Amino acid sequence: MTSRIQSSGQLSASFRDPSGFLFSRGGVLYRQVNRAYEQEYARLMESGLYEKLVKAGLLIPHVEVDQVPAESDAFKILQPERVPFISYPYEWSFGQLKDAALATLSIHRRALRAGMSLKDASAYNIQFVRGKPTLIDTLSFEVYKEGQPWVAYRQFCQHFLAPLALMALKDVRMNQLLRAYIDGVPLDLASGLLPWKTRLNFGLLANIHMHASAQKRYSGTEVRSRGGTTFGKQAMTGLIDSLDSAIRKLNWNPGGTEWGNYYEITNYSDAAFEHKKKLVREWSARLKPALAWDLGANTGVFSRAVSETGAYVVSFDIDPTAVEENYRQIKGEKTENLLPLLLDLTNPSPSIGWAHRERDSLAGRGPADLVLALALIHHLAISNNVPLPQLADFFAETGKWLVIEFVPKSDSQVQKLLVSRDDIFPAYTREGFEAAFARRFKICEAVDVQESERVLYLMERY
Amino acid sequence: MHFAPVPYLDPGSGSFLIQLLIAALLGLAVAVRASWGRIKGWFGIKSKPKDDDEDDESDPK
Repeated sequence: MTSRIQSSGQLSASFRDPSGFLFSRGGVLYRQVNRAYEQEYARLMESGLYEKLVKAGLLIPHVEVDQVPAESDAFKILQPERVPFISYPYEWSFGQLKDAALATLSIHRRALRAGMSLKDASAYNIQFVRGKPTLIDTLSFEVYKEGQPWVAYRQFCQHFLAPLALMALKDVRMNQLLRAYIDGVPLDLASGLLPWKTRLNFGLLANIHMHASAQKRYSGTEVRSRGGTTFGKQAMTGLIDSLDSAIRKLNWNPGGTEWGNYYEITNYSDAAFEHKKKLVREWSARLKPALAWDLGANTGVFSRAVSETGAYVVSFDIDPTAVEENYRQIKGEKTENLLPLLLDLTNPSPSIGWAHRERDSLAGRGPADLVLALALIHHLAISNNVPLPQLADFFAETGKWLVIEFVPKSDSQVQKLLVSRDDIFPAYTREGFEAAFARRFKICEAVDVQESERVLYLMERY
Repeated sequence: MHFAPVPYLDPGSGSFLIQLLIAALLGLAVAVRASWGRIKGWFGIKSKPKDDDEDDESDPK
């Protein structure tokens, strides 16, 4: 987030909302509430809604502070709790997106009970805080006026229902459409891609297929509600319940992908595995990183070795199965300082949106204090043909400390990668690796992993 | 099947109307369920009371 600050200090992701905006001053994040939002803010705080949502872990807590406003027209300045790592829906597993959807509906339902309504159902307003989906935009509420339909209905369908249905019923990789369509999957596109049988499911028939047809048919038509056709609170509750049940019925069970049973088919012996875990834990306990990134984390075994020493660990993997299993595990164990995310390191999340400034790239959200690259380098150097010096440059920009495993050519996993291609990697040796990384890093430790040909390094960047 | 790239196209009206339609259908379903309950009542069959307000106080699963 720090890389996306305009000269006024205003964060560029929050330019749309007349109610207020985020700004950064002296490394601290603040939210200015404008006068235009005075009435809504008062209702949020005085109705008890804020307190209930914060207590349920559904809304980010804040304190009101005495700061000079960033712009005129300020009503209040808030200091929200800082989210340790901002993530985006195209980086979430199926279960994460589903939980974010259900949290959004739950927030709207609680708001209705307090006479308010959630006016914005953007998936980008949800972040994982202490392991749970949490609304981070305190200004997303408006005073509910009986008779009004849900203004965020279309957004909810595009940001949550459509991608979840596509992931569950077509292909789990369809979440990548969210990277192309920043305001969610267009409903006509979702309707065309979904299998025909989804028309037999009332929730999907009504909220996606018929919704898409209605958009096409009535686009540009002015809709005015006549007497008697208003949208009562009962209707609103019915709509929310139907969306909730449509979402709950969508399920995706991991299994059968590339890496799901990686640890079962690999050539690690238990001793090698335990030795690696012990080294990672020791080094992490010594360095005490605040933020660690585990790149190629699989289901997060080594991420846990780091998170147990107190660090906040972002556990990235390319495989939706591994990320889903990792997420289910943190949910089951109520882990608060580990965030599993989906990431293809050969094509990491770019900066997207207006002027490339709404959603940060992966690099823009770094650097981390500690980076783990375990059983990873051969995929980048051999499968993806990245020369070793360029890998060293990449890791030097990604974090201060690096724990990296060198997997030699003689290793059976590397042999597998070379089986169907020419070996054009004469520099891929332990000596070549050390020479390339020594240009950017001080090599602090190099330990032969027991019962294997692999070497584990601890490095500090210059 | 798909949108022509018409400028000024606002899909908002369709989203508004479909909400009214869904609400009407769901309202109908509620009414049918209620009268079904009454019919069952004539025969002495009691419907289970629905605890609707408490369940979403728990965390989303």
